[in-house]
Amino acid sequence: MDITSLKIRDMREMLDKKEVSAKELADAYLERINNVDGKLESYITVTADEAHAAAEKAQQAIDKGEASALTGIPLAIKDNICTDGVKTTCASKMLEDFVPPYNATVMEKLNAADIVMLGKTSMDEFAMGGSTQTSAFKKTKNPYDLGRVPGGSSGGSAAAVSASLCAAALGSDTGGSIRQPASFCGVTGLKPTYGRVSRYGLVAFASSLDQIGPIAKDAHDCAIILNAISGYDYHDGTSAKRDVPDFTEKIGQSISGMKIAIPKEFYAEGIDADVREAVEKAAKWYESQGAVLVDCSMPSLKYAVAAYYLIASAEASSNLSRYDGIKYGHRSEKGDSYNDLICNSRSEGFGDEVKRRILLGNYALSSGYYDAYYGKAMALKQRIREEYESIFQKCDIILTPTAPTVAYGVNENISDPAKMYQADICTVTVNIASLPAISTPCGYDSKGMPIGMSIIGRHWDEASIIQAADAYEKQFERVPAKI
Amino acid sequence: MSAYIPVIGLEIHAELLTKSKVFCTCSAEFGGDKNTRCCPVCSGMPGTLPIINQTAVEYAVKAGFALGCGINKFSVFDRKNYFYPDLPKAYQISQLNLPLCINGLVPIEYEENGEKKTKNIRINRIHLEEDAGKLIHDDLNGVSLADYNRCGIPLIEIVTEPDIGSAEEAKAFVEKISLLLQYAGVCDCKMEQGSLRCDVNISIMKPTDTEFGTRAEIKNLNSIKAIGRAIDFEIYRQGKLLDMGKRVVQETRRFDDNRGETKSMRSKEDAHDYRYFPEPDILQVNFTDEDLDAIRAKLPEMPYERLERYLKNGLSETDAKIIVNQKILSDFFDAAVKAYNNPKSVCNFLIGEMMRRINLGEVSLENLPFTAEQFAKLVEMADTDKVSKNDAKSVFRTMCEKGGDPEEIAKAEGLLISNDTGKVAEVIEKVLAANEKAVAQYTGGDQKVFGFLMGQCTKELKGVCTPKVIKEELEKKLKSL
Amino acid sequence: MDLEMVRYLSQLGKLSFTDDELKKAAEDMTSIIEIMDTIKEIDIVYDPLKDNHNVYLGGLRKDEAMDSFPTEKILKNAVNSENCFVVPKVVE
Repeated sequence: MDITSLKIRDMREMLDKKEVSAKELADAYLERINNVDGKLESYITVTADEAHAAAEKAQQAIDKGEASALTGIPLAIKDNICTDGVKTTCASKMLEDFVPPYNATVMEKLNAADIVMLGKTSMDEFAMGGSTQTSAFKKTKNPYDLGRVPGGSSGGSAAAVSASLCAAALGSDTGGSIRQPASFCGVTGLKPTYGRVSRYGLVAFASSLDQIGPIAKDAHDCAIILNAISGYDYHDGTSAKRDVPDFTEKIGQSISGMKIAIPKEFYAEGIDADVREAVEKAAKWYESQGAVLVDCSMPSLKYAVAAYYLIASAEASSNLSRYDGIKYGHRSEKGDSYNDLICNSRSEGFGDEVKRRILLGNYALSSGYYDAYYGKAMALKQRIREEYESIFQKCDIILTPTAPTVAYGVNENISDPAKMYQADICTVTVNIASLPAISTPCGYDSKGMPIGMSIIGRHWDEASIIQAADAYEKQFERVPAKI
Repeated sequence: MSAYIPVIGLEIHAELLTKSKVFCTCSAEFGGDKNTRCCPVCSGMPGTLPIINQTAVEYAVKAGFALGCGINKFSVFDRKNYFYPDLPKAYQISQLNLPLCINGLVPIEYEENGEKKTKNIRINRIHLEEDAGKLIHDDLNGVSLADYNRCGIPLIEIVTEPDIGSAEEAKAFVEKISLLLQYAGVCDCKMEQGSLRCDVNISIMKPTDTEFGTRAEIKNLNSIKAIGRAIDFEIYRQGKLLDMGKRVVQETRRFDDNRGETKSMRSKEDAHDYRYFPEPDILQVNFTDEDLDAIRAKLPEMPYERLERYLKNGLSETDAKIIVNQKILSDFFDAAVKAYNNPKSVCNFLIGEMMRRINLGEVSLENLPFTAEQFAKLVEMADTDKVSKNDAKSVFRTMCEKGGDPEEIAKAEGLLISNDTGKVAEVIEKVLAANEKAVAQYTGGDQKVFGFLMGQCTKELKGVCTPKVIKEELEKKLKSL
Repeated sequence: MDLEMVRYLSQLGKLSFTDDELKKAAEDMTSIIEIMDTIKEIDIVYDPLKDNHNVYLGGLRKDEAMDSFPTEKILKNAVNSENCFVVPKVVE
């Protein structure tokens, strides 16, 4: 048995029983990273020294019998989450050498739990993309097929979990960036309710949509990590002042009688047959367990991609304005005036996709276009929320595909940004409506590529989607990536 | 030159007197070594988020009440996007459509051609926003240096309707705003330190015109005098342009204090398209009626209320206004009256002696070497004849120079009056004995010599007794003879 | 989307493009805007009140000043001099 393929709770048991030390566990992963990540390219930075120091500290806690659920567990962190003293690049040339002077709140929490951080994972530049191919440093591959993308933007985290290069990882999700790569890489990813997890220290892409969440081997592990990172944070005025439940509390409870919404628009044209069939099969399984499937509709889904891209890009254009090469980040050699210097720094530091989003965002907000684009998108956001509310009046959870297709080839789609945007149709409404959702594998296509399904819950009801995902996972036979 | 009507609106920025900055916990105090009052939030580090300061919001609302505004019970923050090296995030958190305060009214009094006039200036809005940093220009090395200490100091922006018609009105208005904000306790209004700054929007039109002319905006005026001069120059400049058949260009101008002229600021390359949108990092702020009542209740006594109180206390309107129109003076006055409850007397000494010394530049209200209580004591001593009225002035001069307790100063300078009646009787006895002839004249009916005898006694009793007591004692003695 | 518009947007975003890049950006933007334009067919208006999270004055941060960051940590990722960030000379 390879220890790196274990679930967090199994590692916990071994650590607590002293069957393995925190250092041995960390080394097992570091060795695997060393052997495998050359071809997978999931990590931008591997922090071996820091991992050893953390493992030592974790071991002391374990020896004293003071271990928490995550003490000594080796995790990977998406490279847009600030780590004090460790480079945080957002996979952008702009932040190639940026070393944050502070920790994100989630890092403070994880460090307090004595996790062992193995390194920082690759992503689409500034989390803009669904393939991890816009990374300026590591264009991560899919562990199931190195010729394919791992999805994105948290592609490095998802691939690392899938290839057992970490026990679990943190990602961030603005329009599907946790769920879609989890789906492509055959692992489980959870996007919490907006406000559940502090965004302080998450380099902002679209502030009203961003949320940090776990990617792990299964829903139960996701719940364990979510337990550790959730809660109100003084440093984030949008984090929710509400009690945090134990997210594992519903695991194992019967799903009989649960009402599962099947919104027809998510199963329509544009969704690959393989994908649709796999998710429909999962729905049937739930029904066989006593859950009730409820047909329903989300008429505004056809506007969702536009609304999402307008809002996300508008916020991004503003959030990314701070990168001028003056305070941190890439500073051009050229430019004698302030204006020239920052134009050159930004033009050299940002990749094409980031530039496109900045242009789009400025377009949506510029005078004369605001009402037609940004204003309308915000109105649609409210409409989409209302449509979800009406579904949740009749149902407990919603089941949809996570992505219209399985992972595609590394060279596909990239040249056609518009087509890439359309592929986010299944995930963006969850962010627009601030809802929690989990993606878990529900099948494989004829080539063995994983297919993911998404379970969407009511606001703050992560426990129910974890329960439903866990129930399915317990009977689903996973085929691990062979890498 | 034909006559034009100036149409002026002001935008006043006032820094709020909070302890911490508006969106982070750094100190909001003025000054500090360069970049020592900064943290990841106010220096715009990636991943940081603003957390809004309750007191800043409260002070903005207080300012709104002081300026007669209505309060939006649902208020939204927005981002104003523009690039400038003093703005680390490249957007300023401000408010666009739903500011905290709207629709205020501020009465002003001013003099024009020797005539006293009054007018009401409408306030369009007051919103809360953050200040930017400072740039220091290093000419030697040809670079600018950015200091972010001031980034995130809470600011309110007060925007008027274009109700102002002259430099005099504008000056009176800014003075009034300054006074109201100081009384409300939300801003120290030190224009020289930049805690109160003013932008002027100005256009001119012919009396027959039905529409406003094209306006120019004069940025960052930092004294009342500069506001007046800039407006007068701008009226002249725009008038001349129109007289010559030219057009006024809509632009931002800067006032050159040395030359007394406004100059076009090198037009920035970009269009002023601020791409405002709701700030997603800050949730909208709501107020209950109780919240607003509580803030209103915390509003200290405002200038017009103090004026009423002073008039009730018997001060003349002129004196009362002089005192009220400088909050620091008024606070001093109140403290003095608290120590010695004789408002009229305190006022007379304050307006007469203290203001004279201040106007002479011997002392300043900001740095008085004595306390209001000591000042009150001096006034009381003069009133109760512990020093003569004349000597009180001399004691006050010493207080202005060195500070200190008036009684000790009077004692040291030999000006203290003891009114020791035993001593008086003794001296009178002696004087009468030495001037038998005069005494005889007096008893003989020649009352004129009383003055001579009085003079002799006073000479001997200087610093011991007041003339009033001497007179009484002397009369008593002479009658008994 | 025409070149003029793309040029204007790039100025707003402080991006400089070569002529070829500008042409490519205009093409990309045209196909992206096509997707965005789908929302033009629906007639709805944003209502800020619906987004109210019911945060009241009392729920905001109390006004307490805390220690700032060490200046060198603030400046460590920047070109700096005299404890300041160095900017090309700004003329007003």
